[in-house]
Amino acid sequence: MWLRKVLTSYWFICIYVHSAKEQQRVDLTSRAISMANPTSFSLVIFLLFVIGCTARPIYPLPSQDDYRIRQPLQTFRPYNIAHRGANGVIPEETRPAYLKAIEDGADFIETDILSSKDGVLICFHDVTLDNTTDIAKYKKFENRKRTYEVEGVNRTGFFTVDFTIEELKSLRVNQRYSFRDKQYNGKFGIITFEEFISIALDADRVVGIYPEIKNPVFINQHVKWPNGKRFEDIFVKTLQKYGYKGSYLSKDWLKQPVFIQSFAPTSLVYISNQTDLPKVFLIDDVTVSTQDTNQSYWEITSDKYLNYIKNYVVGIGPWKDTIVPVAKNYLEEPSDLVARAHAHNLQVHPYTYRNENQFLHFNFSQDPYKEYDYWINKIGVDGLFTDFTGSLHNFQEWTSSDTKTESNILHKIALLVSPYNN
Amino acid sequence: MIPLRRALFLLRQKAFTPQSLLGFSLVVFLLFVIGCTARPIYPLPSQDDHRIRQPLQTFRPYNIAHRGANGVIPEETRPAYLKAIEDGADFIETDILSSKDGVLICFHDVTLDDTTDIAKYKKFENRKRTYEVEGVNRTGFFTVDFTIEELKSLRVNQRYSFRDKQYNGKFGIITFEEFISIALDADRVVGIYPEIKNPVFINQHVKWPNGKRFEDIFVKTLQKYGYKGSYLSKYWLKQPVFIQSFAPTSLVYISNQTDLPKVFLIDDVTVSTQDTNQSYWEITSDKYLNYIKNYVVGIGPWKDTIVPVAKNYLEEPSDLVARAHAHNLQVHPYTYRNENQFLHFNFSQDPYKEYDYWINKIGVDGLFTDFTGSLHNFQEWTSSDTKTESNILHKIALLVSPYNN
Repeated sequence: MWLRKVLTSYWFICIYVHSAKEQQRVDLTSRAISMANPTSFSLVIFLLFVIGCTARPIYPLPSQDDYRIRQPLQTFRPYNIAHRGANGVIPEETRPAYLKAIEDGADFIETDILSSKDGVLICFHDVTLDNTTDIAKYKKFENRKRTYEVEGVNRTGFFTVDFTIEELKSLRVNQRYSFRDKQYNGKFGIITFEEFISIALDADRVVGIYPEIKNPVFINQHVKWPNGKRFEDIFVKTLQKYGYKGSYLSKDWLKQPVFIQSFAPTSLVYISNQTDLPKVFLIDDVTVSTQDTNQSYWEITSDKYLNYIKNYVVGIGPWKDTIVPVAKNYLEEPSDLVARAHAHNLQVHPYTYRNENQFLHFNFSQDPYKEYDYWINKIGVDGLFTDFTGSLHNFQEWTSSDTKTESNILHKIALLVSPYNN
Repeated sequence: MIPLRRALFLLRQKAFTPQSLLGFSLVVFLLFVIGCTARPIYPLPSQDDHRIRQPLQTFRPYNIAHRGANGVIPEETRPAYLKAIEDGADFIETDILSSKDGVLICFHDVTLDDTTDIAKYKKFENRKRTYEVEGVNRTGFFTVDFTIEELKSLRVNQRYSFRDKQYNGKFGIITFEEFISIALDADRVVGIYPEIKNPVFINQHVKWPNGKRFEDIFVKTLQKYGYKGSYLSKYWLKQPVFIQSFAPTSLVYISNQTDLPKVFLIDDVTVSTQDTNQSYWEITSDKYLNYIKNYVVGIGPWKDTIVPVAKNYLEEPSDLVARAHAHNLQVHPYTYRNENQFLHFNFSQDPYKEYDYWINKIGVDGLFTDFTGSLHNFQEWTSSDTKTESNILHKIALLVSPYNN
């Protein structure tokens, strides 16, 4: 910005000099020219050249305009939700995984929010660091292994809630699955909730975020925040700090789209006082009860419960194999969950779609696109959590573009023909 | 039967007895039945020899159903081929071997062990043999030791453990002639892509009358069903076929008997040709391509030799495709599979990205795929934009032109 000032003052000086008495000006200039030798004169010219090339106009440039026009969120087809980023190719929940997801066409980038020991919200899926980081190779952390009860089950490992943010930041993330690309192992670090938010806000088009209030019961047991604040409070406060507000499809929301997700219904109900951002109620397998209210799958998917929870959430996020049960790797008769959810005006965003054939039921001929086709066109879901953002994006683009292209071109026909009609 | 005129006369006279009325209505009923079930003298469309069927597409790379839709149904069986046709294959591909009594069959391995239930037949227990096949000793139950009747009693299994096994033991081995009828009976033009497989081995173990060789019977079978004509000729477009083989002398040998297009298959860089013992480097040299192009219209290399692979990542592509194209030879690589263990990491475990790379970046002319439906989807979804657009732009032009005059 100092260049701007330099240029401005330069022009002021010119104007001042110009407004001086003409005679004086001429005298000054001629004397200046006669006094100046070629070297200092060309130096001045050179300096002016440098300033001219590097100075900036006074009005703000487009890229720094707060009200820049970015390609908006698409809302005409099911949402492409990048589950933990493009974690099919890059280790989950890292900055590059999210950048890749955005590059691949994600509508929303998804993350799981946990906490460090000192209460910093981080993007991390497991309560333990064992499966996806290099925690095992640090001698100084050897003695931090613990056994805690998590959602009714004893788990042993290195828990995020036992490490400060600085310590967590010193770790490196690994690819979770052995059959996926391991070339980035040990290269990327854990990011915070705030860093995750900036990735979305810095994108060159509108990209939504889909953070999860993960294991809130466990987190609130192990981490205390000042002033009696809970995990959910800090979670919402972080979103609000970055300007996330508004109900689903409101003007504010479309500028910064977000879905808040959780398996714990009381957390979602609790935050509904603090923000009217849309929330999604996640539903686990049929054998798992909710961590906070200990309700069964059958209870939380009953019409009575949907009728209750719809006052707080805009949708549900079930495990896809409960919507359409599977036997011997073949799909069985679909349940009526999607129909009933839709009847209650609840969206359905199932998880998780993966390209590898071990995750694809035989109906789909080992072809992930056939799976997308089935869920989008036969079952009719409203969003999909996928490990392979690019594949879902391809499918949606390749199979919906016909209609778009046709309507575009028909529109052009109408425009072409109309002058002749008058 | 009462003549019609007389019947009418009688009617007018109101001179009908109950018997005559009964006889009359019987006649009418009979005429009704005949009228409803009879057929016109001209042949119906479905039985017309010159029926108009949707022709073979020739504007984009060929979708070659490798052993049928063997990604979902056991390979080289009738249902595998029917599924491939349903899924949109341009060509259905097969490997031709022989039974003991010289009947050409569709089967890939020289042994029955991996893809049939041969192991469960006590009566065949003693047929296990060890033979040399392309320089390597192999032990198993060889097709050339079983008559066609015995082979027909077997049932085919899915080769891979990670593919659908629900059809195991349900389908049988088919003959070359049965394979051909599947293609000819399809409701659109479907090409065939049979391979003269292991001809050196077959000719060692099976003898045909009159000194005929495996290749002779192979070509004779095609000609029996009317396959003739050079590539893209009128005859060929009605009944498209590519004859493929790893053995160049077999292709050269049959070039006297038929001008049907032939494709020279090329194995991995470590494998030499079974008949001429030439290395990969020799048969892919410019000199050799210059020679073989007089006999074949294309080559069929293993895709990982066209673009070498290291640590499951693609390396710099070789110049094989460019040189083949320079010699006016098509390139039909094998084999494309959906399962992520076969997909290199560049493709993000996405088979469509692999198709995109090979079709749009490398520019091949045909693809042998285990998943006909996936390739068909890819081609349809990504090429239709241009087709739809040009169709509609054409319609715009038609709409606007009357107003221009």
